[in-house]
Amino acid sequence: MKEHDNKITRKSFLKAATATAAVAALSTVFQPTLKAFAQTTGSKPKEPGQWKSTTCQGCTSWCSVQVYVVDGRAIKVRGNPNSKVNRGNCCSRCHMSLQQVYDPDRTKTPMKRTNPKKGRNEDPKFVPITWDEALDTIADKILELRKNKETHKYMLMRGRYSYMRDVLYDRMTKIIGSPNNISHSAICAEAEKFGPYYTEGLWSYRQYDVLNTRYIILWGADPLSANRQVSYYLSAWGDVLDHTQVAVVDPRFSASAAKAGEWMPIKPGQDGALAVGMAHILLTEGLWHKEFVGDFNDGVNKFIPGQTVNEEDFTEKYTSGLVKWWNIELKDKTPEWAAEKAGLPVKQIVQVATDFGKAAPRAICWVGGGPAMQVRGGYSSMAAHALNGLVGSVDNVGGTLAGNKEYTVSFPKPDDFMDDIAKKGKKHKKIDHRGRKEFPALKKGKPGSAVITNNAAEGILNEDPNEIKVAIAYMNNFTFSCPQTERWERALTKIPFLVHITTNASEFTHFADIVLPSVHHMFEKWGYVKSMGNGHRHVTLLEPVIKPVWDVHIDETEIPWLLAEKLAEKGFDNLQRHYREYKDPETGKSATTEKEFALYSLKYATHNLWDPAAHKGGDKFSGWEEFKKVGVWNSSSYPYRKRWGKMKTKTHKFEFYSETLKAALAAHAEKYKTTVDDILETCNYQARGEQAFVPHYEEPYLWGSEKEFPFIHVDYKSRLNREGRSANCPWYQEFKDLDPGDVAWDDVAKLNPIDAKKLGIKDGDNIKLISKTGQLECHAKLWEGVRPGTVAKCYGQGHWAYGRVAAKEYGKVARGGSNNEIIPADYDRLSGSTAFYAVTRVKVVKV
Amino acid sequence: MESLEHKNKTQLSEKKISRRNLLKAGGAGVAVLAGATTVSAKNKSKGKRLAMVIDLQHCTGCGGCAISCKSENNVQRGNRWAKVETTTVGKFPNVGFKSLPTLCNHCENAPCVKGCPTKAMHKGYGDITMHSPEKCIGCRTCIAMCPYGVISIHIQETHPHWRSDDALIKGCTSSPKEMTEKVKGNVIPNYNPAREEFREGSGLHYKGIVEKCTLCDHRVTKGLLPHCVISCPCNARIMGDLNDPDSHISKLLVKYSPRRLKEHLGTEPKVFYVREFNPSATKSTKGTV
Ligand code: SF4
Repeated sequence: MKEHDNKITRKSFLKAATATAAVAALSTVFQPTLKAFAQTTGSKPKEPGQWKSTTCQGCTSWCSVQVYVVDGRAIKVRGNPNSKVNRGNCCSRCHMSLQQVYDPDRTKTPMKRTNPKKGRNEDPKFVPITWDEALDTIADKILELRKNKETHKYMLMRGRYSYMRDVLYDRMTKIIGSPNNISHSAICAEAEKFGPYYTEGLWSYRQYDVLNTRYIILWGADPLSANRQVSYYLSAWGDVLDHTQVAVVDPRFSASAAKAGEWMPIKPGQDGALAVGMAHILLTEGLWHKEFVGDFNDGVNKFIPGQTVNEEDFTEKYTSGLVKWWNIELKDKTPEWAAEKAGLPVKQIVQVATDFGKAAPRAICWVGGGPAMQVRGGYSSMAAHALNGLVGSVDNVGGTLAGNKEYTVSFPKPDDFMDDIAKKGKKHKKIDHRGRKEFPALKKGKPGSAVITNNAAEGILNEDPNEIKVAIAYMNNFTFSCPQTERWERALTKIPFLVHITTNASEFTHFADIVLPSVHHMFEKWGYVKSMGNGHRHVTLLEPVIKPVWDVHIDETEIPWLLAEKLAEKGFDNLQRHYREYKDPETGKSATTEKEFALYSLKYATHNLWDPAAHKGGDKFSGWEEFKKVGVWNSSSYPYRKRWGKMKTKTHKFEFYSETLKAALAAHAEKYKTTVDDILETCNYQARGEQAFVPHYEEPYLWGSEKEFPFIHVDYKSRLNREGRSANCPWYQEFKDLDPGDVAWDDVAKLNPIDAKKLGIKDGDNIKLISKTGQLECHAKLWEGVRPGTVAKCYGQGHWAYGRVAAKEYGKVARGGSNNEIIPADYDRLSGSTAFYAVTRVKVVKV
Repeated sequence: MESLEHKNKTQLSEKKISRRNLLKAGGAGVAVLAGATTVSAKNKSKGKRLAMVIDLQHCTGCGGCAISCKSENNVQRGNRWAKVETTTVGKFPNVGFKSLPTLCNHCENAPCVKGCPTKAMHKGYGDITMHSPEKCIGCRTCIAMCPYGVISIHIQETHPHWRSDDALIKGCTSSPKEMTEKVKGNVIPNYNPAREEFREGSGLHYKGIVEKCTLCDHRVTKGLLPHCVISCPCNARIMGDLNDPDSHISKLLVKYSPRRLKEHLGTEPKVFYVREFNPSATKSTKGTV
């Protein structure tokens, strides 16, 4: 990967600057005259603080960062210059972490609910309790389940996590004896992985080789604003634009569209149509990449609109099923057909597809959550991603890449510590219904292997397959982050004993019986995460760079340890004995306190990275201390084209006809002794027969009739969202207008002026968005960056709890309205993903 | 060096007193003193003319500059030393959206300096347009004079929200004040003491006086880049000395066609904009008539 010239300049300048700092400071005429800061002694002013390495989890870029600490206080932040992924950069929302860690509304002590009634309008009447009382109560509830042999009625809900997650999420749940560890993954972007998996065998997000590419289609992705590797792409984009054309497919004008050459404001949900239409153009124009895909035996292009092609006439190289795909799906999908569906000009579609094809193989089709996180979105994800196969950019220079190898290890296995109760309990079915006939959830080709986060509410409410009696949740806020939130409010009300581990009293906390205050991940926690970008992978440490502000503990390690201690005290020591297996690789010692455990478990998992004797590749350190200081391990650079012919698909090739999906669907159908067509019908897909195995167009499935709900709601994420957690930062509100079309200190729904005029709505009017399943209130904003017939609204505002800034009145009145109040709970059932986009029809009413 | 330092110290404390007098009665004597400071400051920067080039092709409108500025300079809620101004142009589907990061232009011909009756607003190190809180009387002439709207006033005690005693959940969460006390901050918990190294009180600014970007004078005088420059993940902000023909910015200014804000006013801003926020390629055509 090439480094930037100006970057080098900046670094060397900084170096030189620091060296001369003292001299320069002395020669100034200004004098320190301070009160607290005793420079009056005549000593030279020097940087009094220290830059300490840690990790930002403001979004899933997971940048390695540094915090400037003076006298134990965090003052400011910057990117960690030691990372080859984010290269010393952090994005704008990283700075807001300061207002999170020092948020006055953080919970500073464990608390318990004293109002037994639960509900959105019930004040929980929290009172402070000691850690001992809190843990004691929780341990008793768990032991009661064990006594009654109903451990499957225990549930663990996980939101954002570090890779220490398995201590609490996996191991503790298993050793207690429950199948019900439910993660948030399906409300993230699992369907985005569906396309890459069923074409190239990669169940993962991708990294994009932007510095070497010539054409980028950002498809429902807004990398200059949100997710993933935002700070890397921010740093690279100015140079990217020197040599790369950019087209953006998005119904609303995004931050990335503002810097692109083409904006394709597609009709929501028509992504599959545009994708197959573009594939049709690439083939009819002969623009596929011959080196990757192969060619007709006689070199004459027989992809002629409407005409079937003989499979024997074409010899593929690293791909499989191209002609089948053409015959089954593409031959009739003309640009005119696609234009009609997508609501875009034919000319624009042809132009973008052609320029994209001409740039092959240095052409990236960057598939984000937009086209994927829809009902039936798995197939759009496949269709759009398949364009990368056609232009041969998969695993190629200037293309779409997988993750580099890294060498962290898993925690010890729990099996030996699971007694009969635990083993029996774990055998029960999961509360989210994965694997049922209507929920294939085909993660990595295995039916029933993906989580269906948002459906767990249904499971809890209907006691199906069983009731949930005791639940622990951490770093999540499902009553805010899951569509049709009201279901979660009822579900949480139903759980008799709910524990929330959190920094702020959120909408979820509102329903908790016990609240355990958590550390802030970036400033107070031990942990690690891995992420990729710039042709590298980094493993970056979360470190306690300051002492925890309050009496709080680490969610993923300290708290389970403390709980294990409590359980042992009361006679059940399996968990504690298991945790003692996570020995410090340096001394071989088991932990004796929660603090030791937090550290030893981290050293255990990252052992191969920092111990020179265990080194397997990438950066090498002299030992733990050095790793800790540097804060990040970098892999070696990307080995291009290594996966060509060795992809983890059934054919080991890039599959345009997915044998891999065919097998997965067949396995699921087999489980229910039925046909694949029946499964597709049950799961609300339109494909039948062979079409189910190729990337193809499916009509969007929207809730509500066009007549009653004339607008399509367009949801997207704010560039200031630290996931759902930053709305209580004053800087979030002050700078909300950094999101194109948005307004500071406000929550607006954006309407095209043409539509607004028809409705008699003006800028700033109070309006309601009403869908089939809910409604919200906010302000109107007339904006040209919105496709007529749609209403665009950013996710992030609408908190009615969380803190004094996030909510207009804490616990009572929301600031604006959350999109999840109007989005119905529906799914792309093949991946288990929750639908956020092209699923909600709304009407707009002036109030 | 030692004696010079000593002299300056005396000067500054004199000025401090002067400001207080001035607040009471206003005074002409101060102007003389301040003038002397200006000259010596200029001498000390050895003829540097610090300037910033903002490369709009690199800018993504992320706001890293404006938000990090608030953390570096302890800027209170509602005030901004740096901003990102945005405009939407065109009609659907032919839409453009542009971001323009702004800050004090550190004009060579600074109207705020000219208008300031007490020379609180003056030219300092590297020709930075500096503000001395101890001389400011809050008359707001500078605000009226500045054509760029980059100077803000403190009407009340600074950071009022952080002075509150209210806790959200009694006994379970803290009040803002309690949070700051707990971590030993100064009115705000993430208070940056470096901000006040050169001028008393400028860490938090005063009630009743103005404040603005000083190009992180507390950093640049030490040879450190301003925090907004460090924090710009896009490498859009480039600092340098206009008097140095070899500086990176001097080269950029020759290579591109720089623009400045409200050029016609003759303020001679030292913040230059080069290239386009959206430089994307379009198909060549001769158009139509
Ligand atoms: S918010 Fe995301 S992009 Fe920004 S610094 Fe944090 S991890 Fe990186």
